[in-house]
Amino acid sequence: MAVTVEPHAPFVVLDTGDTIVEVGPGAESQFRPLLGSVLWDCFPGSRPVFKPYYDEARRTRKPVEFVQFHNGNVARVRANPRADDRLELYWEVVSRLDTLTLDGLAQTLDEALELLDRWTESGDRDELRKSLRVIEGGA
Amino acid sequence: MTAVAAPRAPTTDLYVVLDDHDRIVSVSPRLRDDLGHWLGHVLWDHVPAAKEICGPCFDEARASGQPVETVVLYSGRVRRLTAIPAADGLAVHGERLAELDVTSLGTLMQSLARIEAVLADRASAQPDSPARASLRALP
Repeated sequence: MAVTVEPHAPFVVLDTGDTIVEVGPGAESQFRPLLGSVLWDCFPGSRPVFKPYYDEARRTRKPVEFVQFHNGNVARVRANPRADDRLELYWEVVSRLDTLTLDGLAQTLDEALELLDRWTESGDRDELRKSLRVIEGGA
Repeated sequence: MTAVAAPRAPTTDLYVVLDDHDRIVSVSPRLRDDLGHWLGHVLWDHVPAAKEICGPCFDEARASGQPVETVVLYSGRVRRLTAIPAADGLAVHGERLAELDVTSLGTLMQSLARIEAVLADRASAQPDSPARASLRALP
């Protein structure tokens, strides 16, 4: 299924070394203090889930859109390569995990997995559902 | 599901003491930095979502006059809670058993597996009562 991220101002812009070199107005509070930092240093664990898409956008010189889970959020992301070799990232969170209680976790994880099922393919998510069912059964 | 009488006294030094109205009247030295500023406050004023889940355990300990143990999930952490009634209040000991890691779907799956294992360990340690592990919320 195609992913569409509305074309607002870029969330952030990366240089060829994945350093944050521009921050859009929609990301000021979170990313302005990170200007000049390498993205992966700021968000440990994020590199393997995002960088392959960014590399693809740079390699093909075409926008890449995808849906990804990270830090409890499901986000639609668009990586748009520019003529100056910088990479614009557009970002929209479409679902958040609620880990406050087991009920909240079960409900929001189900929603997140539904979204991911709709946009991507992976065998892992059936295992996640199975684990959650076991935990709910133990409660 | 109901909590169960604790088979042994807890060894944790992480505890708070509640009065009959669930007001925090004492905090163990190791928790003072984190929870010392809650002294004199009703516990549920800070963690209202936990009342429905932890409250029955506390009530049962008070009613029975016996220690009661349960396993709870709150704010992404799984803890063993032991409520120990005494003349001067209810001591609530907490021991962290596992933690959700929402960094990626992979880490989430691994952490859910660890929680499954914790629940399975509890179930196997108490074969006469299959419903002893209760994954509920805690402060």
